[in-house]
Amino acid sequence: MSHTAFLERGDDRSFVCDWVVVGSGAGGATAAEYLSRHGEKVVLVEAGAWRDPEHYPTTAYGAMRDLLEDWGAQITRGRAFWPIVQARTVGGTTVVNSAIAVRTPDDIYALWRAEHGIGGELFEAAMKRFQDQLDDELKVEVGPPESRGRNNELAYAAGEATGIEHHYMRRYVKDCEGSGQCMQGCKSGHKQSLNTNFVPAVLERGGEVLSNAPVKRVFFKGNHAIGVTGRFRHPGLGTKGGRFTVRARRGVIVAASATHSPALLQRSRVRLPALGHYFRSHPGTGVFGLFDEPVDMNRGNTQGWASIQHRTAKHAYKLETLAIPPEMVITRIKGGGTKFMERVADYRHLTMWVLGLRAQATTGTVRNGLFDKPVVSYTLCREDLAAFRSGLAEIARLQFAAGAKAVMPGVHGLPYMIGPDEIHRIEEAPLDPRYYIAILSHLFGGCVMGADPRTSVCDLRGRVHGHEGLYIADASMIPTVLGVNPQHTVMSLSRWVAANLVEG
Amino acid sequence: MPGALDADFDTFWEKFRREAPVPFKAGVYAGAFVYTVTPVITVGVPLPSFALPRRLRDKHADRVVQHDLYLVRQAVFLLKIAGGFAWGADPRVREKLDLPPYAGDPGGWRTK
Ligand SMILES: Cc1cc2nc3c(=O)[nH]c(=O)nc-3n(C[C@H](O)[C@H](O)[C@H](O)COP(=O)(O)OP(=O)(O)OC[C@H]3O[C@@H](n4cnc5c(N)ncnc54)[C@H](O)[C@@H]3O)c2cc1C
Ligand code: SF4
Repeated sequence: MSHTAFLERGDDRSFVCDWVVVGSGAGGATAAEYLSRHGEKVVLVEAGAWRDPEHYPTTAYGAMRDLLEDWGAQITRGRAFWPIVQARTVGGTTVVNSAIAVRTPDDIYALWRAEHGIGGELFEAAMKRFQDQLDDELKVEVGPPESRGRNNELAYAAGEATGIEHHYMRRYVKDCEGSGQCMQGCKSGHKQSLNTNFVPAVLERGGEVLSNAPVKRVFFKGNHAIGVTGRFRHPGLGTKGGRFTVRARRGVIVAASATHSPALLQRSRVRLPALGHYFRSHPGTGVFGLFDEPVDMNRGNTQGWASIQHRTAKHAYKLETLAIPPEMVITRIKGGGTKFMERVADYRHLTMWVLGLRAQATTGTVRNGLFDKPVVSYTLCREDLAAFRSGLAEIARLQFAAGAKAVMPGVHGLPYMIGPDEIHRIEEAPLDPRYYIAILSHLFGGCVMGADPRTSVCDLRGRVHGHEGLYIADASMIPTVLGVNPQHTVMSLSRWVAANLVEG
Repeated sequence: MPGALDADFDTFWEKFRREAPVPFKAGVYAGAFVYTVTPVITVGVPLPSFALPRRLRDKHADRVVQHDLYLVRQAVFLLKIAGGFAWGADPRVREKLDLPPYAGDPGGWRTK
């Protein structure tokens, strides 16, 4: 067992294994762990550094610097520039996410069958079995009541007052302490991010991990993928190190995320019409509520409450709570100068509730850009923007139902604060993405699975069409948005891909 | 409440210049440039922001981040993010917000 974190320039190394897995996030770590559990020799190759809880940052600045891809500054090309947030570290985005565990809804399986010609009873039964296992292995539970915090409790009160479907969320967290700091990594080790369990398990079972090792390309013999290559990159200095080459006897599994997997295949000269297409997302945005009582959103589960009341509605979205640190709050508070500083003084009295839009009508594209950076083109269409706007109005209504004095919709052109009788102003806001501040954190597609090679990149088992030994096992294979948090679906799909490889 | 200018900006700026990747830094510099040259479109005065009297500078700061031109407000938004990093992590600000001081960012990683 070994972990190679960096090699100096000139110190080039080759590794041989059964399977090389590119990317150690939700998809990659899950596939690598499963394969090594079944006796396969795996090399897991990760672009970012391996940080343990004692290395985690505490500030938002540190999180951008140490854990996020490009400091969180990757943005969409389109009418609006919305940040695309992903991690670049061993464990991938599971290190910075809120660890919310939601099973794949049944309507998604039905949709995949109807529109993409994939699925079936065997697949669905396996997915459900894997999700049961993952619940158990990653200690999924609802946070203890004392860890909730007022931000989540007030949202719960709003749910009760309005009678909508709502609940405290199940998360991959054992005994959450409610430090509200999931984005900086869980320093107390309660969150089950995959750098703390599945990745070490790969090492324990005789596999190897290369960190700080961005894969440049997959290489082939004919149409058979036989390995990957790249150069180490020093995580502190950013300098290039020695070249690594990993030769895989059985195959290459690409799990570098919905942006990097398509970009990697493109620069590896995989030519498929659907490659880089059907990129989708759940754009997220939020509304602050101003309360008389102190809320102290940074005490409590980072994200503890949700409602799926509107998940299947015409305007489809999921609602959640979210704690953000003061550094980030100020980016969401309108204005500048003295007026702004007066507003910021309300921080302790703010709730932040957000929506994740089930943006079904909008698709984007990903292409490999300069310096191997994925270029994502994505503009929310009017139909989805209407849903987005109506989600914001719904959050405002809930905030008032919980006793907010005012809400801050954060929409350009609207007043900083509005009262309960002004919610219609949100509903009448322009259908132009430039009026809204949003981020893309749930990403899908780019290497979508499907039955038809003209409209998909891989089949249900992750096998890339027209190639041997090349597989996809991450969020890039998901052909639709889900309307719920993706990690459980990504991990169980990845385990499904790996299980099929083990069983031949 | 301690203001953005009360935070230890110099130390932060030094660190930011050393550590931030080029595109991020370029964005923040562009934001600073836009902030400096736009008083003419926010308060109607053809002076750079630093030459404005205090009251007008305050008005400019408030208007530029909400400007109707998307590119203007986006450029300055990046500056606001950088300012937010320095301000929000300042121990005096955190104390005022009833939050414990940050323990720092060790910045290490597994080497073996
Ligand atoms: C802030 C935030 C909060 C979230 N909260 C939740 C939540 O609570 N619950 C939930 O279900 N989902 C959540 N998500 C989404 C969820 O984390 C992702 O859907 C999931 O991690 C995607 O898995 P993945 O394997 O496709 O990609 P990732 O987990 O992003 O892993 C991809 C990995 O590949 C690596 N990589 C990229 N390119 C290369 C290369 N060329 N060579 C080698 N390695 C490479 C990356 O560094 C990264 O480690 C959140 C996302 C964000 C950003
Ligand atoms: S809220 Fe705090 S204790 Fe709970 S999982 Fe997140 S970081 Fe860990």
